[in-house]
Amino acid sequence: MSAHQRGTELDLSWISKIQVNQPAVLRRAEQIQARRPVKKEWQAAWLLKAVTFIDLTTLSGDDTSSNIQRLCYKAKYPIREDLLKALNMHDKGITTAAVCVYPACVCDAVKALKAAGCDIPVASVATGFPAGQTHLKTRLEEIRLAVEDGASEIDVVINRTLVLTGQWEGSDFIKTSTGKETVNATFPVAIVMLRAIRDFFWKTGNKIGFKPAGGIRSAKDSLAWLSLIKEELGDEWLKPELFRIGASTLLADIERQIYHHVTGRYAAYHDLPMS
Amino acid sequence: MAATRAGSRACEIFTALEYGPVPESHACALAWLDTQDRHLGHYVNGRWLKPEHRSSVPCQDPITGENLASCLQAQTEDVAGAVEAARTSLENWSTQPGAFRAQHLTRLAKMIQKHQRLLWTLESLVTGRAIREVRDRDVPLAQQLLQHHAVQAHTQEEALAGWEPLGVIGLILPPTFCFLEMMWRICPALAVGCTVVVLVPPASPTPLLVAQLAGELGQFPGILNVISGPASLGPVLASQPGVQKVAFCGAIEDGRALRRALAGQGPELGLALGAESLLLLMETADVDSAVEGVVDAAWSDRSPGGLRLLIQESAWDETMRRLQARMGRLRGGRGLDGAVDMGARGAAARDLAQRYVREAQSQGAQVFQAGSMPPDSPFFPPSLVSDLPPASPCTQAEVPWPLVVASPFRTAKEALAMANWTPRGGSASVWSERLGQALELAYGLQMGTVWINAHGLRDPAVPTGGCKESGSSWHGGPDGLYEYLRPSGTPTRLPYLSENLNYDTFGLAVPSTLPAGPETGLSPAPPYGLFVGGRFQAPGARSSRPIRDSQGDLHGYVAEGGAKDIRGAVEAAHQAAPGWVGKSPGARAALLWALAAALQRRESTLVSRLERHGVELKVAKAEVELSVRRLRAWGARVQAPGCTLQVAELKGPVLRLQEPLGVLAIVCPEEWPLLAFVSLLAPALAHGNTVVLVPSGACPIPALEVCQDMATLLPGGLVNVVTGDRDHLTRCLALHQDIQALWYFGSAQGSQFVEWASAGNLKPVWVNRGYPRAWDQDAEGAGPELGLRAARTKALWLPMGD
Repeated sequence: MSAHQRGTELDLSWISKIQVNQPAVLRRAEQIQARRPVKKEWQAAWLLKAVTFIDLTTLSGDDTSSNIQRLCYKAKYPIREDLLKALNMHDKGITTAAVCVYPACVCDAVKALKAAGCDIPVASVATGFPAGQTHLKTRLEEIRLAVEDGASEIDVVINRTLVLTGQWEGSDFIKTSTGKETVNATFPVAIVMLRAIRDFFWKTGNKIGFKPAGGIRSAKDSLAWLSLIKEELGDEWLKPELFRIGASTLLADIERQIYHHVTGRYAAYHDLPMS
Repeated sequence: MAATRAGSRACEIFTALEYGPVPESHACALAWLDTQDRHLGHYVNGRWLKPEHRSSVPCQDPITGENLASCLQAQTEDVAGAVEAARTSLENWSTQPGAFRAQHLTRLAKMIQKHQRLLWTLESLVTGRAIREVRDRDVPLAQQLLQHHAVQAHTQEEALAGWEPLGVIGLILPPTFCFLEMMWRICPALAVGCTVVVLVPPASPTPLLVAQLAGELGQFPGILNVISGPASLGPVLASQPGVQKVAFCGAIEDGRALRRALAGQGPELGLALGAESLLLLMETADVDSAVEGVVDAAWSDRSPGGLRLLIQESAWDETMRRLQARMGRLRGGRGLDGAVDMGARGAAARDLAQRYVREAQSQGAQVFQAGSMPPDSPFFPPSLVSDLPPASPCTQAEVPWPLVVASPFRTAKEALAMANWTPRGGSASVWSERLGQALELAYGLQMGTVWINAHGLRDPAVPTGGCKESGSSWHGGPDGLYEYLRPSGTPTRLPYLSENLNYDTFGLAVPSTLPAGPETGLSPAPPYGLFVGGRFQAPGARSSRPIRDSQGDLHGYVAEGGAKDIRGAVEAAHQAAPGWVGKSPGARAALLWALAAALQRRESTLVSRLERHGVELKVAKAEVELSVRRLRAWGARVQAPGCTLQVAELKGPVLRLQEPLGVLAIVCPEEWPLLAFVSLLAPALAHGNTVVLVPSGACPIPALEVCQDMATLLPGGLVNVVTGDRDHLTRCLALHQDIQALWYFGSAQGSQFVEWASAGNLKPVWVNRGYPRAWDQDAEGAGPELGLRAARTKALWLPMGD
């Protein structure tokens, strides 16, 4: 995310004018998933594309350097080489978009990626993730430390107290959720957010990115997210600078689907490298 | 080398991220056509019929033009044979207990479930519509319809006591959407015990398949018979002995022609016409969701017609921008592709759209077309027409598929005026996040169905129908059942056609009246004049007609009303309408009761008037007493209109509103001059209509007596009574374009004329076909049938929440 948003004057009248009809948005969410199936070669190619949008994530209390290292290796080699070869996609440099870890693991991740010889960015959740209910001072300090350790992207948890009282903050990307809630990335919520991104672009010319996170586990889900972006925002948003998927187990399922596409057989999990 | 080719393709797709084809195999549809050797006949009485020496029509894939099969064109004998089969099985089917019929319908639902892939691939293949819509919506809906109506059949004896099945039903279907339209109508008909003959346009195999599935249930093969033939066989179907009702669904002009052709024929006619819909977008709407509503309405293969789109001026730019952006993402292609929004519908639909677009452009309109669509025929891109001059012919014409015609409005009031400024009244949606405003508009729209913040939702439990030229027949919900029922004991309908009736001259001339001898007079003298706008007025023609008593003595003159008086009466009735509709049910009931009390006070005068006309004293007293009772009874039946319907998978209520028809014209019978007059007037008023009545011709005096009370009690114009030559007045009323319904009780010829003339504005008519009615019996004089005929239904959808 090189070009940062310069931002624009906060105009709350934009927000107060927005109307959202919930049942209608729910109907649209159902429709999008049913109306744009992607099959065969298209499915394989779309899935590979989805890989390049993944923020490969581990956010566990017991993360250590060994599993971070494994994660980083998987980020560099997300799909088994022979499978990519079969699709003639082995020389396209397919990696995930980033790895995403807790601030304390940033150092490990940067080191591991360096060792693997690649320039995948390290993203860190910061600012009192996942609740964001810490002091502004410690939150800012957390960001500073993560950046010092080599993180180039920060997923900030905004202070929802401020949001709920109408005091918004700006950003380059907006994310559906932390992935730590009971309900995370859902289509209806995404539709509302994507329409807001489009309206903002139409008003200011600034493109804001979008990252759904949490609960996106199957290859089929990832295809639905891609077509949602394509339908609501258009192809120009389908690049890692503007679209990410926050996920930990999604990649394994995508790899299995590619395996099936190439070999015609369904893979066992142990047929493919662990992340 | 195949792997490398696939590989390079993967790279290409990876870069461009385009959608690919998702073809649905239609092998089973072709295999089914093969079972008939690609030659489809009729399906009658559980068997395929392929009579010889019939011309045949090719059934083509509308997209590739490939010949799929040949279909027969039925001739008169085929129609007669199918009706015969339906008539034979009627006795057995209609006398089964409802619970038994329910089981049979459930079995058919299961049969459809088992063969759903065949159904949806066949339907998509031959109609060209997007398979997603057929598979995910039409076929499940067909099963729901059967299940819903099975439940209705199960409870029929209890819930519909006092009603019996009509008999053999003839159903005439349009070329597109015939499978689903057929299901909407056969389900209620079969559920209540009718049997059906369906006339489908040739090259529509899906209804034949449904008939075959029903036939393969084994029992009752003759209840559903499908013949393929041209719509011109409609009158032939109607004239077959035993056919009690013809339900027609299709284009407005075809419906009009059928209405004329069937005047004086045996069957009742139910029309569901036109395909255009309306979307009303307020500035307070969720515009993006409303744009999706437009897609649902016009560009998703969900509805047969186009859309009129009314946009509040302040939201115009924003809406057009979003709409155009959304159009760019629509995908068209072969219907059997699972990822297209729109298929193609054959050359006729394309040409119709093309003609409209060309004409609109020549009248100065802007046309925006977008979407990824194969460029060649038979595809037609989604089109948005704007800046159409208000007075151009295109604004009056029905908008065809797949067009959207957008126009701006300034205020909610103006929106309503523009929305209702059309002869059609099918379905509409209102988009606004302001509840009060949305409801106000929904209630004000003259439409059969109104959705708030949604478009195109359907459910078997919700009646769907229309008003004005969209026809007044219903399918689904309770109203759909009554379409195929009649009050128990009603005589079978037979043709009463009078071949020599000249529609051009019927009731045209009024015989001139001359002084007719010494007046023996009535005491006190009844008021002279027509009762129009709340007072007695001299007739426009300034002439009078003599009224004689039972001895043949002249006892006075009544005013001779004519065309101008009818015009004045209808105007007065329209002016009184908003006030009367706006009154609370309680206030309406109070006025009917006050009128009852006034009638009671006038009893002695009324009795003496009736006696002068040869009615026995005892009978005359009973007539007055019964009239008073009728007014009281209908006063008590004035309820807050509407009830709530339960719809599966929808949060929020659907309201079934009972709205007044508008201005209702009633030609009263000659017999029971007071009782019939009151029995017809009371339900009309109770349901909020304003009325123009023609009283008994031989004995109009009692009605005029009642007018004296109405002059003091009721708002002016609510009830208007015009005396005169009945045929002449009937002609004026039947040809009047701004009367919303007409009830006629008179001669067979008059009934036939009324049916013929009603084709003008397609007003619903109720005629007695020359038969007398037992007005003194509650079943015929005050039964629920009168209430059903005095109101029209509107379904109002209010989706909410998650």
